[in-house]
Amino acid sequence: MNRLLRLWLLAALLLGISLALVLPRTGAQAKGQALSPLVTGSVYDQQGQPVEGALVTLSAAHESDSIAQATTQPDGRYSLSLSETIPDTLIVHIKRAHFEDAHIELDAAAIQSLRTGQPIVLPDTTLLRHISPAFLVATLVFVAVLAIITTGKLHNTLAALVGATLVFAISYLGHPLREDLFVFDFDGALRYVDWNVIFLIMGMMIVIAVVERTGIFQWLAFMAYRVSGGRMWLLLPILMLVTGVASALLDNVTTMLLMTPITIQIALVLGTNPLALLMPEVMASNVVGVSTLIGTPTNILIGSYGDISFNDFLRNLTPGVLLAFLGLILYSEFAYRRELRAGGNPSPLLLEKLAERARITKPEHLKKAGVVGAAMLILFVFGEQVHLLPAVTALMGATALLVWIKPDIEEMIEAVDWTTLVFFIALFILVGAIQEVGLISFIADAIGQLVGGNLVLAMLAVTWLSAVLSTVVANIPFTAAMLPVIGYLTAIVPGAHSKVLFYCLSVGSAMGGNGSLIGSSPNIVTAGIAERAGYPISYVYFLKKGFPALVITISLATLWLLLRFLVLGGTGG
Amino acid sequence: MSGIVCAIRGGPASQPTIAQAVTLAQKTGLPLHFLYVVNLDFLSRVGSGRVHTISEEMHQMGEFILLTAQATATAQGVTAQGAVRHGNVGDEIIGLCRELDAAYVILGQPQVQGKANIFTKNLLKKFSERIERETGAKVFFAEGSGM
Repeated sequence: MNRLLRLWLLAALLLGISLALVLPRTGAQAKGQALSPLVTGSVYDQQGQPVEGALVTLSAAHESDSIAQATTQPDGRYSLSLSETIPDTLIVHIKRAHFEDAHIELDAAAIQSLRTGQPIVLPDTTLLRHISPAFLVATLVFVAVLAIITTGKLHNTLAALVGATLVFAISYLGHPLREDLFVFDFDGALRYVDWNVIFLIMGMMIVIAVVERTGIFQWLAFMAYRVSGGRMWLLLPILMLVTGVASALLDNVTTMLLMTPITIQIALVLGTNPLALLMPEVMASNVVGVSTLIGTPTNILIGSYGDISFNDFLRNLTPGVLLAFLGLILYSEFAYRRELRAGGNPSPLLLEKLAERARITKPEHLKKAGVVGAAMLILFVFGEQVHLLPAVTALMGATALLVWIKPDIEEMIEAVDWTTLVFFIALFILVGAIQEVGLISFIADAIGQLVGGNLVLAMLAVTWLSAVLSTVVANIPFTAAMLPVIGYLTAIVPGAHSKVLFYCLSVGSAMGGNGSLIGSSPNIVTAGIAERAGYPISYVYFLKKGFPALVITISLATLWLLLRFLVLGGTGG
Repeated sequence: MSGIVCAIRGGPASQPTIAQAVTLAQKTGLPLHFLYVVNLDFLSRVGSGRVHTISEEMHQMGEFILLTAQATATAQGVTAQGAVRHGNVGDEIIGLCRELDAAYVILGQPQVQGKANIFTKNLLKKFSERIERETGAKVFFAEGSGM
């Protein structure tokens, strides 16, 4: 009874969160309707993005006391209400941390209008960035965290948490000593956290936790063996397909965690080198995962930031991914041709053991998970018609499974990878810090100048730079940092409004993971398990096999993106 | 003192270790026990919380690897047992030696990626001394092998 009660409580909590995300915010909207303003205007940065939180004051010339003040809203707008006598001269001062101060003197006509009670709208103000000590602090902390995560010196979550805490500590404790050490306050930092991403990942974790315990991965792998009849050249693409589809619908780290041990066992049965199956599998996971919004963490980040739906990913990326996948299969058959010829004589003892284990352990759970999964897919595809956020769909699916299957709630809570969720929150804060101090603006400006107004050049630069950088730096923080840059390029490069550059980032950052062992998390878990089975994957080995795959798959995906957006005139979301 | 403990990891590098253990079992007539230790340190790099599920999968994979070693021993007329343990490799080897009152331990010298561990060259000698001190078993290293 107690267990049931706790289960219902968790379900109610998830449902509550779903409703909170989906219900309109009428209260906030009502509050937004202020009194009639007299002086209004908007403040933007050099990239044309609205500047929120700038202090706008109005004072009479040569006098320091302000006669009205306001703070800019998320859309960059401000409204100043004047209640006193209007002086002969008026100056609007705009002040915001990490920007140069701006001043606008109202002309005589504007002052006259104010005196007659008529509101005036000032021209848009562009604030210029300046490099402050806070800029250096945030940049150094971000680069250090990125390096620590990439080299694995600290746990990802701990590294990101230390970085975020350092930014807060310097902002709060350093601020009284030097004003320009301030990066942002706690509320300011939370504005950068994308809760859609957090809840989508959390909901999917619960769904995956139910699915992974049903034995479906082991059964599918064994069926792949059965269908192929032990012929390695056929087994290879079937296992790649199973891994790819699972990675597109579930999390690709979990997919490889479950596929790697069973694949090693199949290879041992066939007396062949497991790496001939594992390497193509993990590469397929990195490539095919890109085809859906929920397939990779980077796509979840890109989808939420760029407002790109599940459907948009299917329409604009899936054909390109299939093309790249086909290329990857052909390449894998060629790269492992000797190993594929060597296997094929199964050991009866091991085969019997494998068949014994490759069973669906919880058929009832699998059936229910299948029904809920199908419903979730329908909602992911058609939900955008009613503005249903993917995070809400994931939470509804997770809730439905919890209520229907009634699993051990303690196990389900353990299955939610809280460390990953904390990692994402800390990462958003860190990326927010470099965005706040202007590092992202400088990078965006530099790339903008590099590509000029050339869309093709921008597409190639984003795709290939992301791919190459993803081989040496962790691709999740890299993608998170690149999103505002891509947002800026989307605004300034003619033709990029189709959001094509977001798809280029998606392809580059995820498929780029095939270029090196540390390029993606699935690579690391696959290598970890393979090493514990006596088949180590060295950095050089991965580079030799993976980099050609990167070149082939990204070339094919780039070809598709060029065709889709430049020839077929695709729109991205 | 009875029994031989042979800790293996699987793969081609384990074959000399398995072969030496089988030869020793044939010579001494002592029962042979293969040991596979599930160690999930690599998960710390990716921060996965799926320890329970992956632990079960690795356990099954370990049993499978032990089966292949047992099959090799059987082919040479030696009946071998297999044991899968979870945790620190060194502690588990010593634990099994104590349980079985092992007379011999056969170790390989695997090339382990990442940070130093007991199988790193300079630490391996210390580890073998520890085994001999704590269990009384004699330690042999298989030449040109991995664990």
